[in-house]
Amino acid sequence: MDIYGLVRGPLVWIALGVFVLGLVYQAQQFLSATRKREVVLPPASLLGGLELPKPLSLADISNSFFGVYPVITVVTTIFHVFLIMLPIFVLGHNVLLEESFGFSLFVFPERVAHFLTLLVVLGGVFFLGRRLFIYRVQAISTVYDYLIIAIVVVPFVTGYMAGQQWFSYETVLIIHILAGELMLMAIPFTKLKHGLLFFLYRYQMNYEHCLGSGSRVWSYNQAK
Amino acid sequence: MSDQEKKAVDRAEISRMLDKKAPEMKRVLNYCLHCSLCAESCFLYMSHDGDPQYMPSYKVINSLGKLYKKKGNVDLEFLEGIKGMVWNNCVLCHRCYCPIGIDIPRMIDFTRSICRSQGVYPELDEGESWL
Repeated sequence: MDIYGLVRGPLVWIALGVFVLGLVYQAQQFLSATRKREVVLPPASLLGGLELPKPLSLADISNSFFGVYPVITVVTTIFHVFLIMLPIFVLGHNVLLEESFGFSLFVFPERVAHFLTLLVVLGGVFFLGRRLFIYRVQAISTVYDYLIIAIVVVPFVTGYMAGQQWFSYETVLIIHILAGELMLMAIPFTKLKHGLLFFLYRYQMNYEHCLGSGSRVWSYNQAK
Repeated sequence: MSDQEKKAVDRAEISRMLDKKAPEMKRVLNYCLHCSLCAESCFLYMSHDGDPQYMPSYKVINSLGKLYKKKGNVDLEFLEGIKGMVWNNCVLCHRCYCPIGIDIPRMIDFTRSICRSQGVYPELDEGESWL
């Protein structure tokens, strides 16, 4: 088996396996480190007097995360949305899917895919720029933080290069596939796992700014 | 507290306290993306012209984060070094906002507990000499 056959064959399965099982493991670890909290509701007579939720006002928006950090909110949203969507709906990946399994998904037109890839890369450059040039981000940045940006951005840079057929197509393609596989395997075991744990943590853990039910607390805080 | 009393640090006790909360701390320190977006939610950061030392994440990373990395093997000098960070640079007002959902005040509070267990805390007659 040549190197191309290896990276687009067995290594893809290994990467996908590590990615899926790794995320399942992380979710299981989260659940075992936390437990459902016991909720004591006030008497029904008091619940009747509670105010109904108010409709969204301009003040709510200006006080929201979007209101305080409009640029970061927009860049982060675009970056994350297309970071996830592009690998699934890009033409090249769906051709492989069709060849291997006989089916494919909706695909972005090539020009659109190229443009969106550039947006993701520019998002990465934006985060890198913040780390390099904004003093407060610099103050808490480590080599690891730069590495995380590289792990995420390299598959998109090489994907763009492959799409444009720059340099040696086959070499760029092999580097692209390897970089993608590395990213998939890195997700469950690095800070990149925030893709999953954001939802578990932000919506499940009981604390003041919780967005969801806040139904869980850390297990070591056993009720007395 | 006299100098004699202050010399000994009970590392076993610090390790015990860290171990007890390890499941939470390990995750909190690992989830923190070092994005610095918690900065503006801290009024002390805002009122000190954006000095990063007042940023909530900076305080956690450089106090509890270091304690955890060192597994509690720290000396009195280290604890005295983070005393200002967790008592003076944070008032535990609970207004810091982490986009990931990390409960930052809990971490600062816990670091204070560790310091307090070793007799490291600001005293009323200390003035600002410890800052």
